[in-house]
Amino acid sequence: MSTYSRLEIGLFIFLVVVVLMPFVLILGIVNVSPYHQVSGEPVNEAALATGITIVSVKDASWNLPGAIGGKTYVLTDSSGDTVTVATQSFDSADSRDAAVRIYNAQSVGKGKPVGSLVVLGQHLVYVTPAHSSILERLAPELKKRISL
Amino acid sequence: MSDEATGQSNGLPSKKVLGLFALAMINVAAVLSIRNFPSMAVYGWSCIGWYIMGAVMFLIPISLAGAELATGWPEGGGVYAWVKQAFGEKGGFTALFCEWSNNLVWFPTVLSFIASTLAFALTPALANNPWYMFSVMMIAFWGTTAIAYFGEEASTKFGNVGVILGSIIPAVLIIMLGMWWMGSGQAIVLPPLTLEAMMPTINFSTLPFFATIVLLFAGMEMAGFHALETKNPQKDFPRAMALSAVIIVICTVLATLAIAMVIPASQLNLASGVMQAIEYFFKAAGVPWLVAPMAVLITLGGVVSLAAWLIGPAKGLGIVAEEGNMPPLFDRTNKYGAPVAVLVIQALIGSLVSLLYVFLPSVNQAYWILSAMTVELLCIVYVLVFASVIKLRYSQPNTPRPFKIPGGMIGIWLVGGLGIFGTAFAFIVGLMPPSYFTTSGFVYVGSVLLGTFLLAVPPLVFLKFKKASWLKKPAGGVR
Repeated sequence: MSTYSRLEIGLFIFLVVVVLMPFVLILGIVNVSPYHQVSGEPVNEAALATGITIVSVKDASWNLPGAIGGKTYVLTDSSGDTVTVATQSFDSADSRDAAVRIYNAQSVGKGKPVGSLVVLGQHLVYVTPAHSSILERLAPELKKRISL
Repeated sequence: MSDEATGQSNGLPSKKVLGLFALAMINVAAVLSIRNFPSMAVYGWSCIGWYIMGAVMFLIPISLAGAELATGWPEGGGVYAWVKQAFGEKGGFTALFCEWSNNLVWFPTVLSFIASTLAFALTPALANNPWYMFSVMMIAFWGTTAIAYFGEEASTKFGNVGVILGSIIPAVLIIMLGMWWMGSGQAIVLPPLTLEAMMPTINFSTLPFFATIVLLFAGMEMAGFHALETKNPQKDFPRAMALSAVIIVICTVLATLAIAMVIPASQLNLASGVMQAIEYFFKAAGVPWLVAPMAVLITLGGVVSLAAWLIGPAKGLGIVAEEGNMPPLFDRTNKYGAPVAVLVIQALIGSLVSLLYVFLPSVNQAYWILSAMTVELLCIVYVLVFASVIKLRYSQPNTPRPFKIPGGMIGIWLVGGLGIFGTAFAFIVGLMPPSYFTTSGFVYVGSVLLGTFLLAVPPLVFLKFKKASWLKKPAGGVR
């Protein structure tokens, strides 16, 4: 049986620690999104509060276990920027978190998934494109509603 | 076994088992993914423009650069051997380590995809159970590692069969159903095809998508890790690059268009998963009974993709260890020539990360940051590869290259320059946080850069403490 020097064992531990460190750090700095009931229609209310125009609203049902319905909004602002926002409520923390995992597992190639997913209590809010002036304006209002 | 039939790796002769087809299938396994099709189908006809952009900025440059480097330096280690020739051990080791460490970030996502797709074939509600998810993820991960344990021959057989069943057949099936859809006079949900419709919209909102598009074809260099087991690298590498690129482009573009023609963009809600889109497609085409078998095949495709990324960089790291750049602890190989120490360490770390991924799912933003780190690490790899192909034309002009990028120095600068521009730009836009982010932009960028740094820096530490006694055999992977 071979024996390893302290240097080798130290380097092995260094490798494991340094490779795991980003995961631990990132998990430490981001906000967790606990499952709780957020009342009303957060996107609708946030759009009204920020003066963003709702072009259309349709009922939507995601074909996922535990999904209990939501809406698809098309929003536009005075500059002509347009985004599609889809919301869906989930009946439990497990089903909501499974949907979060499914979304994050479908990255394009080795990149990121298309669009952006926001967790708001029992709701998931899917916005495409992920970068837009409308979403920047909506974001603070949506954040307020997490705590309501 | 004759000298022509063997290479040397890990002190053991490597069987020359890989021919043109097997090499091409390694690349196809790494790059071709059904996961991409619904995501790209959302863009309608403009997906063609996006694909062309990805091909011009990355696929063609990396295929040409990979072919020149693999034929000029057909040594073990793939990107490690290539970049080392141009920038020394630090550069080569860093490039390889970034290729390996980005996988640690990516493994949980592909494993989660495998588990949730399999759940779709069995009982979709299973995906809600973290214990089911973790169990299947671990079976897939350690099972793939076990296949790698049995060496190149076993993993090649698995890869060849798996990529045909799990990636090519599902893509061809989607294409054929799309053609049937058109031929049978069904309504096509896309507007008429025009040049304008094919043009992607480039603005501030879509800019970050550019990074995604550039790396859509990441993995074309994967065959290079298997140089020691290749029967005729000088002849087979360029042809394998060309064959795999053609298969990937044809399958990807046509299958994406097939989905885009059948499913209205409004129904392609990407938040609800690839299998939901595939289910909609097959139901619309009148073959709902194909959904479950497709889910099984797509699961297999996910496993094959995982295997390609799991085995290649691990083999490269094994070469680095045997050249004495890592302690002997990392240089354990088995009778099949597989780098077992690296494989086990990789599987242990990957399992820990997967555990976090499954059991801490309410940290959605963390996943985004981790995906961004994958992008950044891969960009480092590719910038170094493209820079190497240019530099080696100056530093080693007389090294025989059975395949040379055509056009002389203009050609090499054009190809290498496009590749560097594309990946460097992808690196920069990859740092842009999405508009909805509860952490500040500074924290986001700092986190991504710090994480990328931590996952890229270990080679410099290993080289700093390198000891002569770590060397088991002469450098180069070939005696």
